[in-house]
Amino acid sequence: MKPFTYLIPKTLDEAISLFESHEGRSAYIAGGTDVLIKIKERKLLPDYLISLKHILGPDRPLLNADTKELYISAFITHRTLERSTLIQRTYPILHDAVKNIGSVQIRNTATIGGNLVNAVPSADGAIPLIALDASVNIYGTKGMRSIDLIHFFLGPGQSVLEKGEILTEIVVPPLLPRTGGAYIKFGRRKAMELPLLGVGMLLSLDEDLATCVKARIGLGVAAPTPIRAFSAERFLKGREVNEQTLTEAGQIAADEARVRDSIRGVAWYRRELVGVLVKRMGFTCLQRAGLKHGDSEDV
Amino acid sequence: MLANGTTKIASKLAPTINDRHLLRIYDSAPFKSCEKPMTNVYIVGQRVSKLAAAEKATGRSKYIQDVTLPGMLHGKILYSKYPHARIVNIDTSRAKKLQGVRVVLTGEDIPAIRMGVYKDNPPLKAGKVRSYRDEVAAVAATDPAIAEEALNLIEVTYEALPAVFDPETAMQKDAPLVHEAHKTNILKMPWKLHYGDVDAARKEAAHIVEDRFSATWVTHCCLGTSGSIADFDYDNHLTVYSNTQIPSLAQKDFLGTVKALGLKNRRVRVVKPCIGGAFGSKLDTYAYEHVAILLAFHARKPVRILFDRKEEFIATSTRQPAIMDIAQGCDENGKLLFRDITMILDNGAYTSWGATTPSVMMMPISTLYRVPNVRYQASCVYTNNTYAQAMRGYGNPQATFAIESSIDMLARAAGIDPVEFRRINANQPSEVSPQGFRITTCGLTECIDRVAHEIGADDVKKKGEGIGYASLIHVGGGARVYKSDGCGTLMKINDYGKVDVFTGATDMGQGADTVIAQLVAEELGLHIDDIHVIHTDTDVCPWDVGAHASRTTFIAGNSALGAAKKLKEQIVKIASQTLDVDPQQIELNDRMAIFREDTEKNIDLGKLLRKTHFSPGGNMLMAEYFYDPDNENLGRDFKGNLSMTYTFGTHGARVKVDEETGKVEILNYVAAHDVGRAINPMLLEGQVYGGVMMGIGYALTEQVQLEKGEIMNPNFRDYKVLTAKDTVPIEAPILETTDPDGPYGAKGIGEPGCVPTAPAIANAIYDAVGVRIKDLPITPERVLAALKRKKGIDSCGIDPLTEKEYDCT
Ligand SMILES: Cc1cc2nc3c(=O)[nH]c(=O)nc-3n(C[C@H](O)[C@H](O)[C@H](O)COP(=O)(O)OP(=O)(O)OC[C@H]3O[C@@H](n4cnc5c(N)ncnc54)[C@H](O)[C@@H]3O)c2cc1C
Repeated sequence: MKPFTYLIPKTLDEAISLFESHEGRSAYIAGGTDVLIKIKERKLLPDYLISLKHILGPDRPLLNADTKELYISAFITHRTLERSTLIQRTYPILHDAVKNIGSVQIRNTATIGGNLVNAVPSADGAIPLIALDASVNIYGTKGMRSIDLIHFFLGPGQSVLEKGEILTEIVVPPLLPRTGGAYIKFGRRKAMELPLLGVGMLLSLDEDLATCVKARIGLGVAAPTPIRAFSAERFLKGREVNEQTLTEAGQIAADEARVRDSIRGVAWYRRELVGVLVKRMGFTCLQRAGLKHGDSEDV
Repeated sequence: MLANGTTKIASKLAPTINDRHLLRIYDSAPFKSCEKPMTNVYIVGQRVSKLAAAEKATGRSKYIQDVTLPGMLHGKILYSKYPHARIVNIDTSRAKKLQGVRVVLTGEDIPAIRMGVYKDNPPLKAGKVRSYRDEVAAVAATDPAIAEEALNLIEVTYEALPAVFDPETAMQKDAPLVHEAHKTNILKMPWKLHYGDVDAARKEAAHIVEDRFSATWVTHCCLGTSGSIADFDYDNHLTVYSNTQIPSLAQKDFLGTVKALGLKNRRVRVVKPCIGGAFGSKLDTYAYEHVAILLAFHARKPVRILFDRKEEFIATSTRQPAIMDIAQGCDENGKLLFRDITMILDNGAYTSWGATTPSVMMMPISTLYRVPNVRYQASCVYTNNTYAQAMRGYGNPQATFAIESSIDMLARAAGIDPVEFRRINANQPSEVSPQGFRITTCGLTECIDRVAHEIGADDVKKKGEGIGYASLIHVGGGARVYKSDGCGTLMKINDYGKVDVFTGATDMGQGADTVIAQLVAEELGLHIDDIHVIHTDTDVCPWDVGAHASRTTFIAGNSALGAAKKLKEQIVKIASQTLDVDPQQIELNDRMAIFREDTEKNIDLGKLLRKTHFSPGGNMLMAEYFYDPDNENLGRDFKGNLSMTYTFGTHGARVKVDEETGKVEILNYVAAHDVGRAINPMLLEGQVYGGVMMGIGYALTEQVQLEKGEIMNPNFRDYKVLTAKDTVPIEAPILETTDPDGPYGAKGIGEPGCVPTAPAIANAIYDAVGVRIKDLPITPERVLAALKRKKGIDSCGIDPLTEKEYDCT
């Protein structure tokens, strides 16, 4: 592995100025679980790695009591999210995802921000967050800007981040009442696994606990970036959620997916999975939407 | 007897040993084997934890990565960029000029050295490359990074040649030749076995099933990656530090390379550091070992080559892939009448032990269950793929996948319960199979019954659940594949009654050292920590053919026992002289020489030894023994009693199939083995658990994915070896038949755990959802496609035959 100098800024501004002064020869590093592999594979050869892990900020996800918005610092680890009772109770869709990333060792160091910025279609953290309508805050020399996460990804490994910009925070808008969410990573083994397909789904129900008032379906590895199945979402809205409508929503989502063949899996199979897993996640959402917060259970 | 035995043990052994489990072994009352276990054994049969376990757990063990020598250089190898190409030119001038580079070698710079059974593989290739794995140049430099950089500076000009990746295509007349001089891609290794009259039996059979099965490339996934250090001394005697399972044969191979360098009368010493797993991968010598020797010779400095994980995937060998056509038939009553098998093996570009796996495949083909008429033929075919090697089971898992899947189909065709069908055909003790295998002890029927009982054959199955079975036979008492199947032991005992055992055996994590220590302690009435087993250095350890064929407990165990018996004789003799009693009356126990009639006379062993040592004309006790079993090489007709005894077993899997996704979940797994005698039930279970997990990976998830000869998944992200989280509940009942030839009755158990796993699972899937998957691995894609085909669903988007996508408009 090519040697590098490791720099430890304490503030965002310091990090950005370090990046600028080594422009073209530097990269940010958070947990390093993606960036170090790229260096080993010689896909990235920075002379300087600028750590973001020592920038002061909240060490856990925070719920704004007034606005009910959830704030997640980009620099916190998957393990922190996994162990947060706030995430476990109120955002099980995110908990489903982070608890199955890599292994405990990976989750102890890998960050949610790194997962988003890495911008692969298989990013487990990204799928539930797009289903949650999250936005991200980005800080750069021109100051802070915000963008909806669904517009953040441009292609495999590509995002809207400009050179030197730092993703600082993820903001999740308040949940509607009677909302249930769930995520599933479908893989070939139980740990150290990238999804063959990832489905994150969020359903908000009417007072009858049956009619869908809002649906969100996030798909991983179904296109060159994490995507939403907009047609399937539109189909569900206003309809009663049941076996028939969920099956149909699954089919619509499968048709929307832009799956392809790779060494990890074939397109036809991924398309099949979209149909099956959307239906299954729909049922889990239905069940969770009916639960009061705090009645945590497992998928 | 038991209570008596256990109290003694408690006083003799370290507190880690759990007596409770001893009962479990003998607890298998209704299923218990033919003979009673021996009495009066104390350490044999105990769950002694692996010697040096703490050393490993605390990171003190020295692996090849931890060994450094003064002045050592670092070697790296440049691999081919083509699957098949002529090497037009190699320009090493820029690499040689790089500061820190000491030696650069290409195939043109080295003497004629040929590796492998077929002698078709030089350590550095000249003229042409035949696979992506081909070594074209090597560098030794003062630093690994410099060596790496030097590789980038070597300019190789290739001229691509037409390549062949499919063995059936490679067999055709106009196929590109991998080795022109060989004239054909089909190896001249005619694997052919025929006895009885298969064609006549076929006509008689009431039920016949016929099908094609296939098994693909998988790899060992040793956590310790490969590496080697070569070091010539001033007089050109060579020391090689290497992860090897065959120290004595490797010594011979390395000596060949030394001779090729023009050095006569030199010594070669092989030192094994701690080995981080082998599973057959280290049964041959590899290019990197010979390259290290060549570099060290030219550099006049020690040279170390270490593989990284990617290299480990690309440049070590796989399990032998196979295409297997099988037909079997039985009579009205379910008695097997014939078995007819033809195989095509993808040899890859060079030949290692993978090409000889048919010799072991013959064992289950001829002798798994009683079959009077058998025909088998296998062709190994050169392709431009990676080449295969030995891997746990040595062909047996592939053959057993075809046989046991087909047995299941035949049982169903005959309308007989699969368990009953296996019982009807089970091998029995004291029978000779038509291939000439003399079965001594055999607990196969007991294994079948035990598994059917434990897996809950009679429980109600939920929808999507199914149970499958498969049995195995494997060599359990050595295997005479080489001219000798022997192993030597040297032994000395010091003034304090501590024994050094120098064995030819190789411990690569499986616990050979521990089992040998248990056997010696048992024989000499010592404690486990009185025994020090040295197995790492050919300078002091006697010859052994290698850690293969599940032979170490049996062969090295018998060898160690032989030496211990000789040492015991000497101890008893001096005790009888010192105590002035009849030697018949003396027993060795608890570090003492014991005289039953008058316990006042009992004497501490150390005291006795010191007395003998420090008297005029003093003596120190030593012993040696070479054990070469009375088994036979297979003859020209491939018949002969390959092993002193055979290990049997049956596996049962209970699975649940997700019919919407095709995913298979293993709910529980039972693997019962007739092991003769469990010298150490804990290590034995470890072998079974590990074997089963390896077998489950083989069955469901693992595959080295080759595309036009290139490995697409050379990492643990995409190569789906199972993780700790994927472990399933495994029961490993141990059945003891106390083999007359085994050390304390033991047979080998190193490999069987992964032999019948895949067919047990495939059969369970069939039982669950009625689809038979004939190709490994059994991926969810394959299961789902088969389910759709079965339901006759117009599976829009999938071609049910090729499983490829098609346009559905
Ligand atoms: C063994 C293993 C298993 C894995 N399993 C999974 C899995 O199951 N699911 C999954 O989704 N991923 C998995 N990954 C991938 C990886 O762990 C995750 O994507 C992780 O979240 C990346 O976070 P990190 O902090 O380690 O990122 P880093 O490697 O530190 O950074 C990733 C990229 O983002 C940039 N970056 C990081 N943080 C910021 C920021 N705040 N602002 C701007 N740029 C930034 C870096 O420069 C780099 O380009 C696995 C990786 C490994 C090695």
